[in-house]
Amino acid sequence: MFCYNCGCHLSEHDYCTSCGADVALYKRIMILSNLFYNEGLARAGLRDLTGAVTSLRQSLKFNKNNIEARNLLGLVYFEMGETVGALSEWVISKNTRPEKNIADDYINMIQASASRLDSINQTIKKYNQALVYCRQDSKDLAVIQLRKVLSLNPKFIRAHQLLALLYMDSEQWDKAKRELVKCADMDRNNIQTLTYMREVDRMLAPDETGKISRRKDREEAVRYQTENEVLIQPKGVKEPRRSGVGTLLNIMLGLVIGVAVMYFLVVPSVRTNVLNESRQKINEISNESDAKNNMISDLENQIKEIEQETARLQGELERYAGTDGTLQSMDQLLVAAGKYVTAMQYSENSAERGQYFQETADMLEQIKAGTVLEETSESFQNLYKLVFEGIGPYMSAAYYEIGNQLYLTSKFEEAIPILEKAVEYNPDNGDPYYALGRSYDGVGRGEEALAALEKFVEIYPMRDRATTARSIILRLQNELAN
Amino acid sequence: MINFEEELKKFRPSLEVEDAEESIYNQDLTDMADLLVRMIQEVQETEEQ
Repeated sequence: MFCYNCGCHLSEHDYCTSCGADVALYKRIMILSNLFYNEGLARAGLRDLTGAVTSLRQSLKFNKNNIEARNLLGLVYFEMGETVGALSEWVISKNTRPEKNIADDYINMIQASASRLDSINQTIKKYNQALVYCRQDSKDLAVIQLRKVLSLNPKFIRAHQLLALLYMDSEQWDKAKRELVKCADMDRNNIQTLTYMREVDRMLAPDETGKISRRKDREEAVRYQTENEVLIQPKGVKEPRRSGVGTLLNIMLGLVIGVAVMYFLVVPSVRTNVLNESRQKINEISNESDAKNNMISDLENQIKEIEQETARLQGELERYAGTDGTLQSMDQLLVAAGKYVTAMQYSENSAERGQYFQETADMLEQIKAGTVLEETSESFQNLYKLVFEGIGPYMSAAYYEIGNQLYLTSKFEEAIPILEKAVEYNPDNGDPYYALGRSYDGVGRGEEALAALEKFVEIYPMRDRATTARSIILRLQNELAN
Repeated sequence: MINFEEELKKFRPSLEVEDAEESIYNQDLTDMADLLVRMIQEVQETEEQ
């Protein structure tokens, strides 16, 4: 104990031996503080936490610097689940005596783990929220919140008490009793706990009228209490004797009833469900099938259109390319035109010109054999015609010379195709017509002979052979008329 | 018979960790020893006057 005035260590005298201050009352205050601390310590040892808090607070009211009392108060608060209260006391204790103070260890124990501190804070927030729910008459939510709180901090006595109160309000006496028993285990002499416990015991006890009768004895019940439930079994109740046959009959009857229920109630509904599901599936499949059919028909139409287009394009291509798929005819025509142009560079009646004309004619023959000229383009036809007419007179004369020789030697069958070419190359050349007409007449083709000779007479009416031609025409007309 | 509403009033919200600092600062730590010292000082001042 130290002097309040000079801080000197006090002796057994009622005055300070250093400064002379009267310390009698001061000493009594300190002694009282220590007395209350001892009482608080004893109560805490006996698990009377509420009493310990009262005594320790009293000790601190006498002497706020009683570090042991403050530290113990913090411990008691912590044991009651009041963590913030405990921290407050330890912080004050540490400020009062910074060195060699066990409060330092207590504070570090709590603050060392951030998750623990957060858990403590969450517990407090949930408890406060539960209180709000209670005041808002949302008791179910409050119960849920309090259960969460107690799962985080099972030592939180106030939460246990509030939960017990809620159970009591909803007449769940057994659950309330359970919570209150936990409170009593932690804090023996808590008045609130004891009050609630008395109320719960009163509600749980059987009706006590104070009169004991034979009838009451017979109706007296045996009560078994487990953790969660209270089992009440009346005395004097005898269980009926059970026989094997009876049991078997009961089982058979149960089976029959079960089968009947299944058959009449369950099976139809199951069947209906299965049918509905099947119908639904069939509908879905049918819809899918319709959609796919539509898609197929669309695709088929598209295929037809594409095939038609392909055929058209193929035809166009073939028209341009010829039977072997290339632009052969156009190539040939260009070559023929080139030969014709080359031929024209030579002098008329020259052998070279004649040769080139012949080659040009051969190429035009090939073109004509492999192409339908009317189906070619206009430019193709024009070029063909130009080249054809260019070589026409020469080729006509050449073919006429050969054909006429054959006609004169009466080789009519051989002369006819050659003379026809001569006429084709130059329709205005009348000489081939005469030889052709005479050749037709020689092989008995009267009508063609008539036409050829008439053409000859039309072109050369004044020629010597025109008279002969006219006489033959008359004869042929008579023959044809007959 | 316990009245729920009356009993509920006895339950006060618990302080959160953030509020602990303010609570500590607002605590009145005056004890009997402080009152005694103050009383003695007042008496001494009166005597000196």
